[in-house]
Amino acid sequence: MLTVEGLVKQYGDFTAVDEVSFEAREGSVFGLLGPNGAGKSTSINCISGLLAPTAGQIAVAGHDIVKDGKAARQSLGVVPQEIALYEDLPAVDNLRYWGKAYGLRGKALEDRVTDVLGHIGLTDRAGDLPKEFSGGMKRRLNFGCGVVHQPKVLLLDEPTVGVDPQSRAKLFELVEAERDAGACVLYTTHYMEEAERLCDSLAIIDHGKIIAQGTVAELKSQLGARDALQLSGSFPTDATRSAIASLASSIADLEVLSLDEDVLMLTLSQASQHLPGIFDAIGRAGGSVSETSLRSPNLETLFLLLTGKELRE
Amino acid sequence: MLDFLLTSMRKDLSRWRQDKTALLIWLGIPFLIGGLITSMIDGGNGTPTGVLLIADQDDTLLSGFVIGAYSQDQIGELIVVEQVSVEEGEARINDGGASGFLTIPAGFQDAFLNETPVTLTLKTNPAQIILPGIIEDVTEILLDLGFYAQRLLGPEIQQIQDSAANNLDDDLFVSNISVEIQDKISKVGPKLSPPLLDVVILEPPPAEPQPDMALLFLPGIILMAVLFASNSLAADYWVEREKGTLRRLVSAPGVLAGFVAGKAVAALAVMGAIAAITLLIGFLYHDVAWNKLLPCLLWVSCGGVGLFAWFAAIQMLFPNERAANLMTTILLFPLMMAGGSFFPLAALPDWIAGIGRLSPNGFIVDRLSGELGAAEAWAIDAKSWLVLLAMTTGGLAVSTWRLRSGFARK
Repeated sequence: MLTVEGLVKQYGDFTAVDEVSFEAREGSVFGLLGPNGAGKSTSINCISGLLAPTAGQIAVAGHDIVKDGKAARQSLGVVPQEIALYEDLPAVDNLRYWGKAYGLRGKALEDRVTDVLGHIGLTDRAGDLPKEFSGGMKRRLNFGCGVVHQPKVLLLDEPTVGVDPQSRAKLFELVEAERDAGACVLYTTHYMEEAERLCDSLAIIDHGKIIAQGTVAELKSQLGARDALQLSGSFPTDATRSAIASLASSIADLEVLSLDEDVLMLTLSQASQHLPGIFDAIGRAGGSVSETSLRSPNLETLFLLLTGKELRE
Repeated sequence: MLDFLLTSMRKDLSRWRQDKTALLIWLGIPFLIGGLITSMIDGGNGTPTGVLLIADQDDTLLSGFVIGAYSQDQIGELIVVEQVSVEEGEARINDGGASGFLTIPAGFQDAFLNETPVTLTLKTNPAQIILPGIIEDVTEILLDLGFYAQRLLGPEIQQIQDSAANNLDDDLFVSNISVEIQDKISKVGPKLSPPLLDVVILEPPPAEPQPDMALLFLPGIILMAVLFASNSLAADYWVEREKGTLRRLVSAPGVLAGFVAGKAVAALAVMGAIAAITLLIGFLYHDVAWNKLLPCLLWVSCGGVGLFAWFAAIQMLFPNERAANLMTTILLFPLMMAGGSFFPLAALPDWIAGIGRLSPNGFIVDRLSGELGAAEAWAIDAKSWLVLLAMTTGGLAVSTWRLRSGFARK
């Protein structure tokens, strides 16, 4: 349904998106997970036709976005990160306007607008101006405007930024409903929890490149049973690195993710059982531990493992 | 495309109509300026008249003649004579309620006939300049006339006075006195006529009909309102970009041209409303022929869309909203100045008016002035309509190009 092959987007010497390839199927949610500035929005802008790719192909429902842009766009729905509404136009007229922009007319349009209003929970406020709405209601209407024409491919660019938990849960329901209705949803986020909750498959992107891709289960399996252990304190770097290396013979899958004078990050299996040995090695290296954080395997741990940095840095 | 054009137009009209303050500003400032100019010009058209109060204490034939002299011919158009008592006259002139107050004392006629001194008292209003001066001059001329009349016809006047006093009005007396007066005039006549100086009065060249100055200001004032509106409406592209609706629109298939055209048609409706209001007031005030209303309305409305299109195109060339607004606002005032909104093109020096007519609004003002001043309606020629069409199309084309070339995507 949505195929991206070798997508490259350059701004002068800067490469914002570097050889990104993935395929998303109908009736599924594909996630693009990465920190701010990783290239998620640039990828979405290329897919939606807002930006011309420097290289690569993008096919939406079989139509090339560059060569057959009109047909490709007809199958696309976009829910942008910002609330892109006419706040001085009643909610129902916003939906009608965007429905007409995608070619809906007459009874089909009115029926669909009625459905969407019910779907997003704004039937009672249909005639009100969005400028009088709460943030969550605006987000829902923003979503409704993107799906009023029942797109085959729905692009959601960080739709939950700045949204309260209740509205976020409602948006999740809306996304799942679109997926269940057969749409192919491309969902970008830097929230690991959202990706885990919504996405059937996803790609982790950093510095414009995809560094891991698969289903959530497949990605987690890359970690095996390893935990992520973050230690805060004082760590003489060279001595600490040698001390940890000396433990590798007794702890098979021990790996240093990152090390600086204040923070040491490790991955290893059954980390809780090895804590005394690790503390002892650090003490012998002249370091000290003031705080310990142990995380079970998840996408954020994987991101740490792959990039050596937090997902939200 | 047509369907989305209409949808887009309705959307914009629905949004814009909520901003009633803008409409008040677009119309209010030009009306304020226009009202001031018109009142200043029209306030100077009337002929000033003054009131001369006369207290006639003599109440004789001669004093009646003096009073009547102030009401003759052109003097009578300037001065309104009111006979009053001395007390009333004093009170009113002291309150500034008249231009002058003349007192003719009792015994005036006798003194005149007997060539004894007599004093006429003329008080003038110091708060006025022109009319009291005229009254003084007229009074002095009357006194001079009286002096010469007394020299020439003193005995005859005395006889007339005596006959009136003794009720001697038989035909013989009237015929005798008439003959005597005629003889004296006949003797003096050759000395006065023909005059020693031969005055040749040249006919002035036929003057061109003077245009109504206040009407000359009307097109510029209307275009001032249109300029304010077109600049303000053009900023809506930036509003849409900041809201993100333009980005969303670019993601939709093939609706950009309909979107731009929809905005232009919505602008046409707003310009039409502004033109209708300003023209109706102007037509009513200046009593312009009503068959010129439709061509004027179409011309101003279409011109407004052309200005809107170019303001939009210019605004979209700038990197941010503040710079765009600043630039078009800076552009607005020289355009109004050169284009006849502050001074009518007809009142400007030819070379400045020539430049002004080349400005878009000056072009519109010039043709509108021509339509208003023409003998017949529909005086704007086809070439001007084509120029306006080309101007509007060009502005819309540049706007569309800017939307496609990146403005909407950012």
